[in-house]
Amino acid sequence: MTEQPHGTRVGVDIGGTFTDVVAVRDGEVTVTKTPSTPDEPERGVMNGLDESEAAAGYAPDAVDFFSHGTTVATNAVLEGTWADTALVTTEGFRDALEIGRQDRPDIYDFDAEKAEPVVPRDRRFTVPERLDERGTVLRELDEDAVREVAAAIDGTGVSAVAVCLLFAFENPTHERRVAEILREELPDVSVSRSSTVLPEIREYERSVTTSLNAALKPVMSDYVGDLEREVRGRGVDAAVKLMQSNGGLIDADAARERPVNTLLSGPAAGVQGATHVADRAGYSDLITMDMGGTSCDVSLVQDGEPVVSTDVAVGDYTVGVPMIDVHTVGSGGGSVAWVDAGGALRVGPRSAGADPGPICYGRGGERPTTTDAHLLLGRIDPEGFLPEDRDVGVADVRAAFAELGDELGMGPEETAQGVLDVANANMGRALRVVSVERGHDPREFALVAFGGAGPLHAPTLAAELDVPTVLVPRTAGALSALGLLISDVGYDYSQSMVRPWAGVDAETVATAFAELRAEGDSELAAEDVLPARREFERVADLRYEGQSFDVSVPLPDGEVDDGMLATIERRFHERHESRYGHADPEEPVELVTLRLHARGVVDSPETAAVAADGTVADAVAERREVRFAGDAYDAPIYDRDLLPAGGEFDGPAVVEGPESTVVLRPGQSAEVDPDGTLVVDTGVAK
Amino acid sequence: MSADPAAGDDAEVDPVTLEVVRNGCVAVAEEMNANLVRTGYSPNIKERRDCSCALFGADGEMVSQAENMPVHLGAMPFSVRAAVDAFEGDLNPGDAILLNDPFRGGAHLPDLTLVSPVFADPESDDPRLVAYAANRAHHADIGGSTAGSVAADSTEIYQEGLRIPPVKLIEDGEIDDDVFGMILANVRTPDERRGDVRAQEAANETARERVHGMVDEYGADTLEAAFEAVKDYSERRMRSELEAFPDGTYEFSDLLDDDGRGNEDLPVEVEVTVDGDEVGVDFAGTAPQTEGPINAVLAVTSSATYYAVRCVTDPEIPPNHGCYRPISIDAPERSLVNPEPPAAVVGGNLETSQRVTDVVLGAFATEAPERVLAACQGTMNNVTFGGTDPRGEDGDGADGEPYAFYETQGGGFGGRAGKDGMDGVHVHMSNTMNTPAEVLETAYPLRILRYSLRPDSGGAGEFRGGLGLRRDIEVRDHTARFSLLADRQRHAPYGLEGGDEGERGAAYLYDDADAYDAAADDDAADAGEKLPQKSVHDLPPGSVVSIRTPGAGGYGDPDERAPTAIDRDLRLGKLTPAAALARYGVDEGSSSAGRTQSDDADPADLDGE
Repeated sequence: MTEQPHGTRVGVDIGGTFTDVVAVRDGEVTVTKTPSTPDEPERGVMNGLDESEAAAGYAPDAVDFFSHGTTVATNAVLEGTWADTALVTTEGFRDALEIGRQDRPDIYDFDAEKAEPVVPRDRRFTVPERLDERGTVLRELDEDAVREVAAAIDGTGVSAVAVCLLFAFENPTHERRVAEILREELPDVSVSRSSTVLPEIREYERSVTTSLNAALKPVMSDYVGDLEREVRGRGVDAAVKLMQSNGGLIDADAARERPVNTLLSGPAAGVQGATHVADRAGYSDLITMDMGGTSCDVSLVQDGEPVVSTDVAVGDYTVGVPMIDVHTVGSGGGSVAWVDAGGALRVGPRSAGADPGPICYGRGGERPTTTDAHLLLGRIDPEGFLPEDRDVGVADVRAAFAELGDELGMGPEETAQGVLDVANANMGRALRVVSVERGHDPREFALVAFGGAGPLHAPTLAAELDVPTVLVPRTAGALSALGLLISDVGYDYSQSMVRPWAGVDAETVATAFAELRAEGDSELAAEDVLPARREFERVADLRYEGQSFDVSVPLPDGEVDDGMLATIERRFHERHESRYGHADPEEPVELVTLRLHARGVVDSPETAAVAADGTVADAVAERREVRFAGDAYDAPIYDRDLLPAGGEFDGPAVVEGPESTVVLRPGQSAEVDPDGTLVVDTGVAK
Repeated sequence: MSADPAAGDDAEVDPVTLEVVRNGCVAVAEEMNANLVRTGYSPNIKERRDCSCALFGADGEMVSQAENMPVHLGAMPFSVRAAVDAFEGDLNPGDAILLNDPFRGGAHLPDLTLVSPVFADPESDDPRLVAYAANRAHHADIGGSTAGSVAADSTEIYQEGLRIPPVKLIEDGEIDDDVFGMILANVRTPDERRGDVRAQEAANETARERVHGMVDEYGADTLEAAFEAVKDYSERRMRSELEAFPDGTYEFSDLLDDDGRGNEDLPVEVEVTVDGDEVGVDFAGTAPQTEGPINAVLAVTSSATYYAVRCVTDPEIPPNHGCYRPISIDAPERSLVNPEPPAAVVGGNLETSQRVTDVVLGAFATEAPERVLAACQGTMNNVTFGGTDPRGEDGDGADGEPYAFYETQGGGFGGRAGKDGMDGVHVHMSNTMNTPAEVLETAYPLRILRYSLRPDSGGAGEFRGGLGLRRDIEVRDHTARFSLLADRQRHAPYGLEGGDEGERGAAYLYDDADAYDAAADDDAADAGEKLPQKSVHDLPPGSVVSIRTPGAGGYGDPDERAPTAIDRDLRLGKLTPAAALARYGVDEGSSSAGRTQSDDADPADLDGE
């Protein structure tokens, strides 16, 4: 993987507004940002590479590691621009994909709408066949009927087919045979089957995931083809790797087969980047907070591993493949402040976005936003921030807050402070619930803040949640791109085997894991991962009989034998106790799913420490009046690039960097670590 | 929460503190709910989320709520009131009151509510009461004549399970084992009940901890003032919404099919009077309380009414006591919507609550149909299977375990001004998730043979009603006790503005697979036995029950329906050519749509046509 240790590594992350490129060359980290080109994303990638090569001074053929965070699959889902797809399922279950779980999306809103089924009803077909819950054949597959269905599918003109039969995770024979026949009859149509995409119990979630995978395959295949051609065309020889939602990289061919695994590619890379930076600063239990213009993505990291979930919603669809659990709150720098019908001050969820954006962007925004509030309170540099060529000044921002304040009986600065208090209350509520739902107390975590607006809010937000430490990475504005460079290659495999634990024998489990591992070995080998660099993590999902919530139990190293089964069961009870607050070792347990994570270890690039010469005092660019809670302070404004490693300073203070601004309240302090990460002591007793 | 509260000791609450504290109160309820779902023991709480949590002020008025189930919305204040009435002056830090008595603060017996007082300074000699935390969870069994405690044939509350008036289950942090032991001795699955009640206790503890944090931050005086401000805020918004609604008295009535005891066509009548910024809802004319188990206690009737008013006004208004101040409810005593003991009530919460919603919404629709929608399916289609699982661990049935399986079924969502209704969802007072077929078949000796939408079941209209569902369940190798509690099988969901009624529900029993297959192949929906909508049966091995849930009413004149919408329904097989001709005058030949292979082309789907 790293045959040329002194080569250049490049990570390219496409976001909604910017395409970020991070290049690491001889330990030097260079970040460049160019506008994204949503209609033709690969063009934005090429523009970004042009800029990066110029800024960091490397030639395309020096690139020995190229990884990419893509929004192609995500956008296709959010916009419904996937390929026309058919579904083949068990007789009697044609509508399971459309009915879903029967709950409606909003309890009180009469205008609420269910998600459109991924495959419309006239393209859903059934075949006579049936398995029972152990995978025993109750009714043989009618192959003639399958051929008839193939002919009907041919008439619909679709380019993809999903196959999802009942209990195929227990016994994939029928699904395999259906797929074979479809491939014979429809050679130009790509086929996805549930027993490879997501061999897990619950027919609705499995068929949504399989159908989405099928529908995204043509989209992803086109994009990856274009991207590879362009990248090769400019002289980059390194394999193109893509980030998956689980935080692991895969090669381009694997992404073509499993596009559904890339739905949270960019956000997952951001969490990986945050985890890496925090690990180097000595922190492993984290809440990450990526706040941009319109929203804030929140995730949990425990023991240095991002929390992965198998029921994350993307747009209107809950997708069953493992994804880093990203919770989105509608609160960003562009969130608009307003007074509602009951006279309360509200912030968001409406956002001014990037265009027109906050008033202070000078692009015609007229409603005050959280970014404007920061500006009025002195936390953002009016000189550096306001565009010179635009006709907007602090006075305009103050006037807007004065107008808003009139409705509330408050002055402009007081109103701006109120806007930040309300925005923090919104986010604080989300952060608390996200951690409490997982059974954690946010006070035991460090908050890692990134994205353009995260570091502005994080120290105050952390203090309100009693979180003692905030970390602000040096590349806070392009952390996803950095995450692309430090992640391992990673594949997830699973196999549902729902049965009483008492009846599970070691050999069955060992055999199932051996099969999953064989798949992992072959995929890692296809990516040229040497055997010594392959790691496999085995997990068993168990639950109490009759329960519906599984607990994942990692297996210890070694052969699966009776002793290991006993260990798994003991650990299940322990984990159940810690996660759900109760356990009962007498209660019968059942096995649900076996999982294997196959990892191809990638060495993280060496990055140079920030200079330790110079003093904190030298880094003071100016002093400015900054307001906190109604009081004005004469606060130092630090230039982040000049802060030396090991430097310490106290709040109130503002740290301005090229990508983000950090605001420390009175009573808080910060230290610069060797990577340049700001480690903020929020003033809360640990 | 602001580290520097703008509010001072004079307990003035400014607009920022109002919004910050309001967020804080909602966060308390949401955290309670997250903890209840997380630590809950039974699937009904963990997966179906049939539970709700709320925070109340010291005056017993609700300040915030995290609800999963609309039917819990307005009912919990009755629980807190009952708990306070029972123990006023005798509530101390660490106490918690348990209740389920529908006639003293409950709704129906499976819903257990736990109310915990919260004191500002619990360690002091004279602790100050500042709040109550309360949560309600639907327990999978609370005793009574049938497993699952949803007996369709009960006539008195005594048959429905264990009735718990407000009792101090927890005193000074210690659970009263005598009381708890007595409760557990009366239920079928005591371990599960113990676990679920413990989760309810933990949820209230979460609230205690968080309210203590708010007291530390703001002081008890300011917090109390902020609670009041939060309620006043919702009240202002509710009043301004009602003010905008035209004054007048609006009447509506509808019928419940029967009570399962031969008493049919039971009217639910309402007169809704909007007067300035207030609304009065009077159920005079509604049927007297009845023998069968469909009596809705006042808490349930109130919940359904509040839900309807909330939907018709602005659903964004934060739900708390302030919302209810402008709403007055009159329900005649000893009626279907305000019964006296010992009425059987389990279906009041499930079925009658839906009809109450239908009539209150129908009354509003007489003035402003565009703000309402045609009738949804109007039932929860409750089914319960119980018996002994013949599959032992070795499949020999030797160590068969007793089981009870309860689920409700979605159906059509009403046609709306501008939109068709949703197909196959839970409506109004319910919003649970279904049990996946694979999970169901793994856990219980039952098999799902078909799970589909019912073509043509949505009432025709410019915007058609949502489709009902069909779910066919086979009993495997044992005799199962089956209870059905459903409605809208005699009286169809109404249409609005010229839209047609939705198709009624039905349930059929087929003796064995051959009879079922015959019915599936031929036009023989009635090859099966039609089951009364509220009934209990012993189902023999191999028999099949087919549940057909109602479609919803349509909205607007069917003649106005866009041809593209008709074509689309034809193409998707949601409308048959025969129905297209009958309802919309569209001839098959004139449509561009051709049907492809279908799961449900068999006429058995078209029962009741």
